[in-house]
Amino acid sequence: MTLHHYLILAALLFCVGLMGAFTRRNAIVVLFSVEIMLNAANLNFIAFWRYSENPALLHGPLFTLFAIAVAAAEVAVGLALVIAVYRHFKTVDLESMDTLREE
Amino acid sequence: MSTTTLALIPLLPLLAAALTCALQNGRRAAGVAIVAMLASCGLALSALKEACGMKPTDDPLTFDFEWLTVGNDTVINFGFVLDPLTGVMAAMVTFVGLLIFIYSAGYMKEDERMARFFCYLSLFAAGMLGLVLVNNLLLLFMCWEIVGVASYLLISFWFHKPEAAAAGKKAFIVTRIGDMGFLIGILLAFKTTGTLTLYDGGQGLLELPIGATVLGLKASAMISLLLFMGAVGKSGQLPLHVWLPDAMEGPTPVSALIHAATMVAAGVFLVARTMPLFENGGTLPVVAWTGAITALIAAFIALGQYDIKRILAYSTVSQLGLMMVGLGVGGVAVGMFHLLTHAFFKALLFLGAGSIIHGCHEEQDIRKMGGIWKPMRVTSIAYLCGTAALVALPFVTSGYYSKDQILAAAWEEPLMRPVFWIAAAASLLTAVYMTRQCLYVFAGEYRGCKTPHESPVTMTTPLVILALFALGMGMVLEKSIFAKLQGKLIHDNFVIAVSMAVALGGIALGWLIYRGRALGQAADPLAVTPLVRKLWFDELYAATVGRLWALAIVIFEQLNELLHFVRDLAVLLADRIGNAFAVGGDRKLIDTLAFDGMCNRLRSAGHAVTRPQNGFLPGYLRLIALGAVALGLLVSWMK
Amino acid sequence: MNEVVAFWILSIIAIFGALVAVRKRNLIHGVFALLVFFAGLSGLFLLLLAEFIAAVQVLVYIGAVGILLLFAIMLTERVTGDDDRRVTSRGWFWGLVVTAAVFVVLLLPAIQQLPPPKAAQTIDPSVKELGHKLMNPYVVTLEVLALLLTAALIGAVTAAQGVRMPKEEDSPE
Repeated sequence: MTLHHYLILAALLFCVGLMGAFTRRNAIVVLFSVEIMLNAANLNFIAFWRYSENPALLHGPLFTLFAIAVAAAEVAVGLALVIAVYRHFKTVDLESMDTLREE
Repeated sequence: MSTTTLALIPLLPLLAAALTCALQNGRRAAGVAIVAMLASCGLALSALKEACGMKPTDDPLTFDFEWLTVGNDTVINFGFVLDPLTGVMAAMVTFVGLLIFIYSAGYMKEDERMARFFCYLSLFAAGMLGLVLVNNLLLLFMCWEIVGVASYLLISFWFHKPEAAAAGKKAFIVTRIGDMGFLIGILLAFKTTGTLTLYDGGQGLLELPIGATVLGLKASAMISLLLFMGAVGKSGQLPLHVWLPDAMEGPTPVSALIHAATMVAAGVFLVARTMPLFENGGTLPVVAWTGAITALIAAFIALGQYDIKRILAYSTVSQLGLMMVGLGVGGVAVGMFHLLTHAFFKALLFLGAGSIIHGCHEEQDIRKMGGIWKPMRVTSIAYLCGTAALVALPFVTSGYYSKDQILAAAWEEPLMRPVFWIAAAASLLTAVYMTRQCLYVFAGEYRGCKTPHESPVTMTTPLVILALFALGMGMVLEKSIFAKLQGKLIHDNFVIAVSMAVALGGIALGWLIYRGRALGQAADPLAVTPLVRKLWFDELYAATVGRLWALAIVIFEQLNELLHFVRDLAVLLADRIGNAFAVGGDRKLIDTLAFDGMCNRLRSAGHAVTRPQNGFLPGYLRLIALGAVALGLLVSWMK
Repeated sequence: MNEVVAFWILSIIAIFGALVAVRKRNLIHGVFALLVFFAGLSGLFLLLLAEFIAAVQVLVYIGAVGILLLFAIMLTERVTGDDDRRVTSRGWFWGLVVTAAVFVVLLLPAIQQLPPPKAAQTIDPSVKELGHKLMNPYVVTLEVLALLLTAALIGAVTAAQGVRMPKEEDSPE
């Protein structure tokens, strides 16, 4: 296994998540996609850590730890927002939430 | 004799003219004018006396002061000259003028513009006197012009008559042609000598030797010829004589004063005054020949005229020609002698004609007169005296002496013999036409409508006085004055014989032809069509110059049209260009294209820019991702 | 050898899970696919000898985030998901294009740097080491993270609860 394998995998996963974010109308699916992207990034970090010169620095795991923590917090807040939006718009369809547009 | 005294001679009539300008009352105006003329006459006579005291070799007296300064060194003087020539002319003008003024007081009595008449007369007298007295060629020209203007005013005095107005214009225009030559002559004189003062203590125009040549001729010859052009115009020589007969439209005193005695004499005077130039230039033969031909042709034409004043007018032209002959062959003395005698008897004849016309109730055609002898005794006698003088009846008339001098001088010079014969022929014809006229007017029965009557005393008195002068002046003047003038007086027996023969023979001829005929009913044998038609001079001028003028008018009118066209074109062009700029440029380009276009484009651009703001969240995400892609590319490229 | 096989299996699980998660119309199914994805990723972490992270991944992601997502789904709509089309009407093609572009760009540094680094050394830092690192050099970060989590907690509770807006008719339910 080379680093490149992991990198390609991570890039692929990231793009899957990106595609989901671009394409779906449901806000929660977009959140799914965001999580996928974050996880792909974490994978990248660990891969680079493992193939680095000095793994004793533990930079990979540390960053990933923090990333996971933040991601969790973000999901919590995001879902809370989705719930609030749902209460107002009665839907989580992104295309109906266009009150910020012109006219 | 001081400058002031000399200056007053023309100034007094000028003052009278100024005063009478404002007056309405004719009699008052007449009084003012006559008084001024009287005073002027007195001064002129005293000047004459002083002038006679001078010897021929003396320099003339001059009184000058600087008038204009041209540039740094050329000066034009204003001044008077006194010599026998001046004295004689001044005295003659004032004296004859005075008599005519008195005559006019009676003649113009019923005219409503009488005051204005005396104003013009005084103006004329002032100009004429100035002309003879000044010492400067330019000033002479100015007075010449004043005289011309005054004559125009006087000829067309009865301006509501179209013939009178036309005659005034004709006189002015024809003399103008001559004046053109005069002016060029003045300029040439100034150019060659640098001065216009006539007598300047040796430096004057007439005293300097002129050596320059102009166009192959001697400068003095050129100048004298040009000046002679002016004289030809003013004195009615051929070919500029056409105005004189028409000028008879004016009142009779005007004809007497201007066209007998004074104005027409101005031309003769000019030649006499500038005689040194003529002698120097050798142009006297031109003068003599012009005069001779004029004399002959005018005498011929006089034979065909039926208007009493026209006959006298052509007679004047003829006599002026003789004066020119006199100047040309004999010099100042000969020419001026005849001028002086002619002044008196021609004035007499004109005034007499005026009296006759007045007496025949304004009739001027001699065919409608006749038998005037009985009702108008004084006028008739005076008129016959004048006729005698004109015909040059031997020994008893002044005209005889003066004409004799002319013929003698012509005979004396072998080259001028043809001139002599022409002059003799002219004298013969003079006798014939005058006899004709007298027979028509005085003899036979009256052929007119109303009864003729004698004229008032104011009119007949001057006639008598002039008659006395006409008869007696000759002997007196020959010895006293004319000996003082330049030129010599000759007595040649052959010439005396010829002149006697001519005079008496002419009378006899006229008597034979006209006596006894039923004048007025039968045809006049000598009045053949060419003569009656004045040799078609007027028609010739109308056909040539008149046509030329009409052509010029047409050309100028076309030019005017062209200018109008150009102007319209320019306006059109300006309008179109302006329009193009306004509509095309301003409205289309700036408003629509630039201004409105810009606004619209700004609006649509702004609109385009707002399109990403669609509230579509995934769209925003895509843009962010795109930005990140770009950033990544940039970073990798920079590495 | 085992490693390679494990890698491939785990990769396929992860990819599959992710794809299903983003493509499924039924969100419950999607959530479960996401959980599978998290599991696959955890396996990959194990493969990379980051055991602690693998454990944390399972605990946090699968245990907390996944359950949270499940609850959110249940709270916001019907289980079968919205009736509308799944995909946005607006140019999904361009989305794919951008995705492809991102994929290429992500791999650019790796492609440019040709020989890949060597296999990992066999130094296995322990959890003790990690804890030590957390406490000493990175303690500030840790504390900040704690604060962050607190804030997130408070924020989530507030947002979910809803603020009473002073509107006449539109009172949130």
